Amino acid sequence: MSTATQGTVNTQAEASVEEVEGKQQSRLAALWMQHYDLVILPLIIVLVLGLLLLYVGSRDLDTIEERVLAADNVGGLLVQHIWLAAISTVLVLVIAVPLGIVLSRRGARRAQGPVLAIGGFAQALPPFGVLLLMAFWLNFGFWTAVIGLTLAALLPVLRNTVVGLQQVDQSLIEAARGMGMTSRQTLFRVEIPLAVPVIVAGLRVALVLNVGTATLASYIGAGGLGELVQQALRLNRINVLLVAGGVIAALALLIDWLAGVAERVVVARSG
Amino acid sequence: MSETTDQTVVETPEGAGKPDMIVLEGVEKIYPGSTQPAVSQLDMAIPQGEIVMLIGPSGCGKTTTLKMINRLIEPTAGRILLDGKDVTHVNGDQLRREIGYVIQQGGLFPHFSIADNIGVVPKMLGWDKQRIRQRADELLHLVGLEPSTFRDRYPRQLSGGQQQRVGVARALAADPPVMLMDEPFGAIDPITRDRLQDEFLDIQRTVGKTIAFVTHDLQEAVKLGDKIAVFATGRLEQYDSPDTVLTQPANDFVSDFVGGGAAVRRLSLLELAHLELHPVETDEKAAGSRNGTPVVEVDGSGKPVSWRHLPGGDAAGTAMVTVPISGTVYDAVDVMLDGCASLVAVVDEEGRAQGVLHWNDLVGGLRTRKGHA
Repeated sequence: MSTATQGTVNTQAEASVEEVEGKQQSRLAALWMQHYDLVILPLIIVLVLGLLLLYVGSRDLDTIEERVLAADNVGGLLVQHIWLAAISTVLVLVIAVPLGIVLSRRGARRAQGPVLAIGGFAQALPPFGVLLLMAFWLNFGFWTAVIGLTLAALLPVLRNTVVGLQQVDQSLIEAARGMGMTSRQTLFRVEIPLAVPVIVAGLRVALVLNVGTATLASYIGAGGLGELVQQALRLNRINVLLVAGGVIAALALLIDWLAGVAERVVVARSG
Repeated sequence: MSETTDQTVVETPEGAGKPDMIVLEGVEKIYPGSTQPAVSQLDMAIPQGEIVMLIGPSGCGKTTTLKMINRLIEPTAGRILLDGKDVTHVNGDQLRREIGYVIQQGGLFPHFSIADNIGVVPKMLGWDKQRIRQRADELLHLVGLEPSTFRDRYPRQLSGGQQQRVGVARALAADPPVMLMDEPFGAIDPITRDRLQDEFLDIQRTVGKTIAFVTHDLQEAVKLGDKIAVFATGRLEQYDSPDTVLTQPANDFVSDFVGGGAAVRRLSLLELAHLELHPVETDEKAAGSRNGTPVVEVDGSGKPVSWRHLPGGDAAGTAMVTVPISGTVYDAVDVMLDGCASLVAVVDEEGRAQGVLHWNDLVGGLRTRKGHA
């Protein structure tokens, strides 16, 4: 019995080895056809950053400008900015997804409306104001900014988690239960996997939102690329402002692009 | 838990005396917020190995009844026995793993491969991977899908008919004695549906499951059912063989529901193999005997190609139509109407003429062969 199976497996393996090369080429071609649009944005980013570098390089910078635009100053603020956005997005993920799942359970569906309304309220508040108020309430600094960013970006993920679970075909849930899956198994093996593309779309919105809003974190002393803008304004150096604007825009676009790629991978995986 | 093992053997009309696999005793369902029961005081027994078709207009309680058997819907009152065991209060999830379940359009999980879809229940029952894989291949074979082609595909890459076959394979995965089917062929085009029904009957002949099958299609009920249960607003109006339901409706509701065309529908219950057919002769044997027997001209492999002689008829002007002996009178009538012929040659598996059925036989009374009453 096992030898027979082994035999078929072997012949299959041999056949597939021959096929693999041709297949790989056609698969690459298919991938290119499907996703060639993903190349456009990085090209634009590289182009814009290149032009900026050329322009700034062609200018005579005074010592103040040189100091502010030094790689370790810009790089340090960039890293700080990414941390702000990343930590707050992870917090959003950890809070909003489980909350959304709980809200979509039968027992908690009544709470859905009120909770989503509160989420909408939090999102409608201007992030700048929230950050300032939170700074007075807690204190100035990095973690206060993280909390503010997290609150401002909760809603998209919460809403998408709820909607993503809602749109799972009822007949699939019934099929799962009808075959003897417990409600927990149905949730983890059917409902959540099928809702993942929608949840990830919400996470992408939250991430991009956080990258943008993190610019304001510098006003409560949390650093980030907003600090570069402030330095430029304080010192009245237009070249620095240009670089700051360019880097902020490029980072936002790049993060959105990365999130978009991740989204496609997830969607392709979950069929 | 009261584990009663009373094998209630209800006398079936066929008098087969097979033990009842599924027994519903005084089962009732009243949905919350409703005063009218969706199913009231239902008593029903499904013998082992039979297909029972639950039919009725929408909202009649047929689907509710089906789902109470595997307790997807909890009955408000009454008892449900499976193979003599009271399952009204056992763990519903465990129970459902022992009962095959097929829904409309298969209900396949789009993010699982075909093999994984089939392996859902075996995996929950803790089978090892090798065994699950083997079982999936075996079942794909059974439902007529080549395992090497289909096992790694995803449901969206399959046609509706193929998905439905996988749905049936999935329900059979853990070899449950009982299968519940909720309008499985409802959303499939008529031609494919017909083929799936034939295949389903073939499969049932090998697996011999006890099946409760919800449908809204009387044609399907007559074709597939060993018995038909006609429901009206939560009540079982008639529970009998297809033939009896068609010819002797229990009340006005059933006769309205069965409606006109019952006589035509009955034709699909009459198998040609069980009928006394007119004899037929092939050309070589009957060169001279031009009596009352029709003579056909055959080709090299013995298949009839045209009529050489028809008693009292125009042999040259009558189209040659054939029907396989495995078919029913319904099929014979179909080919006669289609070919504008007043008679049809009934052929065996090799395509050789076995007999003739005349149009006039239909109105003159069909004679059943002895031993096949």
